[in-house]
Amino acid sequence: MPMKTQKITTDNQLIIERRHHAKTYKLTIDQASCVGCELCSLICPREAIKVTKKPKIEGEKAERPTIDVDEAKCHYCGMCVAICPYGAVHVAVDGENISLVVEKESFPKLIREISVDTTKCPTDCKECEEVCPLNLIKIESNSIKAQVTVEILKERCPCCGLCDVKCPEGAIQVRRIFTGKLRIDQEKCPSECRDCLDACPITGALFLDEKDKIRVNELFCTYCGVCKIVCPEEGALELSRSTIRHTPIRSGAWNKALEKLASTLEVTKELRGKGKKRAMEAVKKRLETRRKQIG
Amino acid sequence: MDKESPRIGVFVCHCGLNIAGVVDVKELVEFAKTLPDVVYAKDNRYTCADPGQEEIRKGIKEHNLNRVVVAACSPRMHEPTFRRTVSEAGLNPFLFEMANIREFSSWCHQSTPKEATEKAKDIVRMAIAKAKLLQPLKEIEVPVTNKALVIGGGIAGINSALDLAEMGFKVYLLEKNESIGGHMAQLDKTFPTLDCSICIEGPKMVDVGRHPNIEIISFADLVSASGYVGNFKVKIKKKPRYVIHENCTGCGECKEVCPIEYPNEWDINMGVRKAISIPFEQAVPLVYTINMDYCIECYKCVDACGARQAINFDQKPEEIEIDVGAIIVAIGFEEYLPYADPLYGYGKYDNVITALEFERLILAAGPTGGKVIRASDGEKPHSVVFIQCVGSRDVNKYEYCSGFCCMYTLKHSVMLKEKYKDNIQVYVIYTDLRSDFKGYEEFYNRAKKGGAHFVRTKLENRSIVEDAKTKNLIVHAETMGGKPVEIEAEMVVLANAAVAVQNATELAEILNISIDANGFFVECQPKIRPTETDTPGIFLAGACQGLKDIPYSVSQGSGAAALAATVLSKPTWIIAPLVAKVNEDICSGCGVCESVCGYDAVKIEQINGKELAKVTEGLCRGCGICSAACPAGAITMPLYTKEQVIAQLRAVLEKVK
Repeated sequence: MPMKTQKITTDNQLIIERRHHAKTYKLTIDQASCVGCELCSLICPREAIKVTKKPKIEGEKAERPTIDVDEAKCHYCGMCVAICPYGAVHVAVDGENISLVVEKESFPKLIREISVDTTKCPTDCKECEEVCPLNLIKIESNSIKAQVTVEILKERCPCCGLCDVKCPEGAIQVRRIFTGKLRIDQEKCPSECRDCLDACPITGALFLDEKDKIRVNELFCTYCGVCKIVCPEEGALELSRSTIRHTPIRSGAWNKALEKLASTLEVTKELRGKGKKRAMEAVKKRLETRRKQIG
Repeated sequence: MDKESPRIGVFVCHCGLNIAGVVDVKELVEFAKTLPDVVYAKDNRYTCADPGQEEIRKGIKEHNLNRVVVAACSPRMHEPTFRRTVSEAGLNPFLFEMANIREFSSWCHQSTPKEATEKAKDIVRMAIAKAKLLQPLKEIEVPVTNKALVIGGGIAGINSALDLAEMGFKVYLLEKNESIGGHMAQLDKTFPTLDCSICIEGPKMVDVGRHPNIEIISFADLVSASGYVGNFKVKIKKKPRYVIHENCTGCGECKEVCPIEYPNEWDINMGVRKAISIPFEQAVPLVYTINMDYCIECYKCVDACGARQAINFDQKPEEIEIDVGAIIVAIGFEEYLPYADPLYGYGKYDNVITALEFERLILAAGPTGGKVIRASDGEKPHSVVFIQCVGSRDVNKYEYCSGFCCMYTLKHSVMLKEKYKDNIQVYVIYTDLRSDFKGYEEFYNRAKKGGAHFVRTKLENRSIVEDAKTKNLIVHAETMGGKPVEIEAEMVVLANAAVAVQNATELAEILNISIDANGFFVECQPKIRPTETDTPGIFLAGACQGLKDIPYSVSQGSGAAALAATVLSKPTWIIAPLVAKVNEDICSGCGVCESVCGYDAVKIEQINGKELAKVTEGLCRGCGICSAACPAGAITMPLYTKEQVIAQLRAVLEKVK
């Protein structure tokens, strides 16, 4: 069979496929999980992903941007899979979910550090389950045994930290994946416009203050950038990412991605960090051999 | 000689009854004798035969002739013969003129012999008028670069290169892909012997790679070519591999760490390859290539390569220039993919494949490891229909017969039956089965005995419909007698047409050679000069001249090498002096000649501070267009000077007055 590529769009999925006679590559975007942010499109090495703002309908709330993948361009490397904080993208080769770049250590995985100390959980508390803006937490409690289990869909969690902050017992600890800055220029921000607020997937990351101005609560912001895409006013919203928590990596492809996601400065910092680490290891090794020689 | 008064001898040929059956040869001889300056005239039964030639030599000596006219056939065939004859008798070969009284008179006026004789007289009179004004000319000698360029590293080009290298000539083998090997390297087995294709081609490829006289220039394209026989200048652009040839050991460690997989075109996109890889295991040269369209620059390969330091992301395209004396064109063929033909459902139905795709399926090193499986469900088919002449022998597509499809289908049917025995039903839908070379008919018999069903149908009214549920295919056809045929099969293999390489036209333009309506290169003469082009020093080998199978491509490859050696083995090459001559006193350097020349032979150049037309003798083909176009009359064509042509006109119009 000659190679075939196709795109299938359903209500809840966007699927592109490249079929060879004896091998099939498939990329799926889960429309329910995808928030329409810019991360995957920023780093796609083939520039195959396009994020488009939906036209605004007067009087209605702003919708999340739509994402489209060019089936002729995509080569199923899996960078988008690795970078998506919402776990909305999947690549499967012959039916098996895989990210080729992660598998071959050419690209890092995001580190989602979430720890729950269920011994602290009162059996009647469901606070975290209720506050999670993405409905990723399920709590089951057994009041007889006084046991609570907290199940978190980690692979889809952007680590906004809402549960951490809201937990009355301090049982959940979440470390952020992305750090950065989000600033709203109140001069430029059109009053009455609530587009960013409507599109933001994290409840409370953006809010209206007492003067009806939109403010950022950086405690919860995941720096995904949906707000920036839907914002109608150029320069009203400024977003910059600084660090991204990821598994250790040595890869040009990651450096490039990091440069696009954050800045050249961050790449330099990361590289310098790696250099320092290597230098420290070398010193440690030398000292050890010295010690052995003396000992 | 110039001052000497002309002493012309006229030899009239009977050409058996070809001329003498219509034209009164005796009368023509007597007529010739009456013309001024004719001192001798004679007729011969066959002037081109030895006794006839001897008559000419004798005539020159006995009558002290200084001009010779032969009234016979077209100069195309025997002009060189008679030039040689007169020079053997001590006369300058260009003091000879031919009068074509066969094509121009006896053949076209067979029913009117009287008028034919009169016309023959006119033709002879014209030839004599011109002969009086002939001047001795000297042949032009040009030096020869004894190196060759072979374009295309398929089996034909490989043989040309190896043969020339073995004769001791330096050969550049230009290949557009990463590896030589061509189509033959994609095949599983070869008919009629069922030899493993790469097992017999591989060693030849290795020989090419190792031969001290052969330099493979792979992953490169021809940019331009100039010059002429013995003296071609060729520009080649090497695409960057991003891997340093000398440092790459071909170990493949880089491939192991590379995360990126992209469709392997060499595998007809049925399988994938890594962004740094070789197209197939036996590749020659064994040098890896990074496909920058896909590479994500993670530099894992750089780490894996380590101290060998073979990877260089800064590589740029490189242009090189080489000098060669002869060029062999062996660029092969391509496939017609019938996507646009709705009857076959190719590209639409999963289980309809082409023959080459089938070849990759049944090949042990192929994308399925040699398992013939359906794309729809990965299962082995229990019935396969082969459909012949898809695109070929179709007046609306390619009118010609692709030549080798019948035989490869026989091969596929034998292979399937021998591999799966009674577990598979094989049908061949054909119109005419052609098995006309050594061992081929015997192979056809083997296929028939093997249990394949051969169903003869019309070329028209064939179609395929897919059963949406089972993904089986229902093949419809019509017997020669008009009865409908319906076969349900689990897989259909199309014998799709082989076609000329797409950029053959571009190459033809660069090399100044011709292509036919189908895109194949035109040979000098289809019967007796099938390996030469019209451009001296450029030869053809393999399927690019006309579709042919492996043994014939190999033979023509060797043939082209032998012909190239006829040029390369000489220190100098003789060119007939029938080239344009510029009178520098008259030429104003206007450039009209340059604009009309089809061979880049005339150029305006600065000569002694003056803009003048300059003729490159090796390139000039003596067509005369520049001479006719020159507004100042500064360009003359030896043997067709103004005076000579006017004299001929006067001679023929004399009678009208």
